[in-house]
Amino acid sequence: MRTKRAVAAIVAAGMLAAGLAACSAGDDAGSGATTITYWKLTDADDASKKAWSEILNGFEDSHPDIKVKVEERSTDGHKEALRTALGTSGAPDVYWSWAGPGIGGEFVKAGGSLDLKKYYDKYDWTSRFGDSTLSTVKQYGQWDGVPSGQSGAGVYYNKELFEKAGITSTPTTYEELVEDADKLVAAGITPIEFGGTVNWHLMRLLDNILMAQCGSDTFQALVTTKADWSKEKCVTAAFEEFHTWTQKYLTKGWASLSDSEANALFFKGDAAMVIEGSWFDNVLRANDVDTSKIGVFLFPTGTGQLYGDVSSNYITPTSKHPDEAAEFLDYLTSEKAQKISLDLVGARPVNTAVQVDPTKEDSLDKQWDPIFADAKGLYEFNDQALSLAQTTEYWRIQNLVATDELDPADAGAEFQKFIDQQ
Amino acid sequence: MTAAVPSAPAPAPSGSRRRRRRSGFATALPFLAPALLAYAVFVVAPMFESVRLSFFEWTGFVGAPQEFVGLKNYIKIFTQDAVFWTALRNTVIWVVLSLIIPLTISLALAVALNRPLFGRNVFRSMFYIPGVLASIAVANMWRWIYNPNYGVGESLGTAFGLPWLSDIQWLGDQKIALYSVFAAFVWQSVGTNMVLFLAGLQAVQSEHIEAARIDGANAWQVFRNVTLPALRPTMVIVTVLTFIGSIKVFDLIVGMTGGGPAQQTQVLALWSYQQSLGNHQYGMGNAIATVLLLITLLIVVPYLAWTARQEER
Repeated sequence: MRTKRAVAAIVAAGMLAAGLAACSAGDDAGSGATTITYWKLTDADDASKKAWSEILNGFEDSHPDIKVKVEERSTDGHKEALRTALGTSGAPDVYWSWAGPGIGGEFVKAGGSLDLKKYYDKYDWTSRFGDSTLSTVKQYGQWDGVPSGQSGAGVYYNKELFEKAGITSTPTTYEELVEDADKLVAAGITPIEFGGTVNWHLMRLLDNILMAQCGSDTFQALVTTKADWSKEKCVTAAFEEFHTWTQKYLTKGWASLSDSEANALFFKGDAAMVIEGSWFDNVLRANDVDTSKIGVFLFPTGTGQLYGDVSSNYITPTSKHPDEAAEFLDYLTSEKAQKISLDLVGARPVNTAVQVDPTKEDSLDKQWDPIFADAKGLYEFNDQALSLAQTTEYWRIQNLVATDELDPADAGAEFQKFIDQQ
Repeated sequence: MTAAVPSAPAPAPSGSRRRRRRSGFATALPFLAPALLAYAVFVVAPMFESVRLSFFEWTGFVGAPQEFVGLKNYIKIFTQDAVFWTALRNTVIWVVLSLIIPLTISLALAVALNRPLFGRNVFRSMFYIPGVLASIAVANMWRWIYNPNYGVGESLGTAFGLPWLSDIQWLGDQKIALYSVFAAFVWQSVGTNMVLFLAGLQAVQSEHIEAARIDGANAWQVFRNVTLPALRPTMVIVTVLTFIGSIKVFDLIVGMTGGGPAQQTQVLALWSYQQSLGNHQYGMGNAIATVLLLITLLIVVPYLAWTARQEER
């Protein structure tokens, strides 16, 4: 009896070991295909989901020897997952990220990005992308990531509410924007909405006011900490203006709302404006908003620069399948895949061979064309321009000013104190 | 006349007893070793590692260098980190309130539901259910309750014509946000403590209560002089568990405010986490965690020692 039990135990252990071995070999052993993992943001709307599904199926059909295991997360969940996993065996082969110093730059600095020089040579990617997107690839010294997309952020507004408030044209100066906000208040309309529980939503207002008050050169010097936040008068002016916006024009209860809860007010016509990225066109359509009644204009900073970000897909140095990962990235930026994204989602292509066709765009998408075409450079969201710790402090000060707990005149000095202590 | 007989000194432990004690330990060791090993590997070692890291600067990425900086992280959190003191103050407030409000309500509920009431099992279950819900689900539910546009306060304020009620920013006003989150914590935690108290109440001898009543004690005197002393072991457990659970409060804060607005609902456990994983300052994060550990040990260990002495008496 004992011998039988012992044999059964050995057989069971053997089967378990074989099973585990099969698991550890992944799908590689089962189907003969190599599996790579890809981490990205969750697609929030049906059009994006459909586009992604078509692109993924297209890649796997044309590369039967490579399978892609996709993991999607929310904005903050994605950042945290990458911060936890990069550099470990749990890191994905490929991940999507914002390319700016505060997020993508931190990942690169931490060794989370494989130098892709040999793949740029192999696939001739340098001729595929424009100079502005390529400059983001080389900004940290090596060849980091492959451009994924460029987004602009502007002020989305409800045309009917503007009309109701007697606003006949979109503002071209910051002063006009403030006048319009006053007109909206006078008409009993909430001028602008943001959600405060995710700090980066309200940050967009402060970033733009800072740009409007300081101008491009000083703004860039500030976010790269080359200028002193306590000494630049425009910083105090910006925080004072920001404080006014939060007290007079911002939606009620903003501090308790998430970005999606606040945006629901815009969808319902309970708020007239919000600063969102060009991806918001699809979000509006997904929420059954009549986009013909929505307009978009660039926040009038007086610089002509576009507020936004550039994103890239990175291969991790810990990837065991960098060649397959590069093949995947080559497909994602191919004309075929970029055209799917453009046609279904309206995503601005990073592949210069793919051009936006105005005849296929809806009225809202079309409004972005001149904004992108006329932009005189890009200034990034400050949570991507500042370091992680600086961003956390920037948000704290932003919220203290917004909730009337810190004198705007002291905000710049408070932030500079933190920078000096770093 | 009687001769004084000196009392005999207590006999020293005999050699055979010492041997028996040693052999008992040797017998127990193989049985305890696996648990001891697991405890050392999964609890003690990470604790020491956390303390070690508090003396280093490290981004937390594998392969990134760890630079020894001595007490620099501690100096920074005590002298330069504006959020640390807010987090410490909030943690203290949270712990003190936790030891008063939910405990009192739990005890009152337990005493009430220990009586032969109609449907008391249904009430016991109802009060216990919030305790089994995931904190993040509780957080979502209470976020909805507090929503300034369609939450309960807003609805009641509109329905009864009380605009001041509609205007309260339960989670957005930094003066009340912490207490708003704490209300959710009370709702979630009273049931679990109530069950522990109910279990303790079963140990109270009905004869003792009966005797006190015959002696003329009123309900409060019975509770104060019979029930409460009998509940002392349960009280110790509930107090320690509540203290430990409240000093490391994390999930409800994350789910409801994320530490905001403007870090005004920040607590030590969450700030340690955000410094480590959000800001990639593992040294600072672990220094905060070490402070949290020391505070916990400084309070829990003497308290347990004191209660043990009380019981020996």
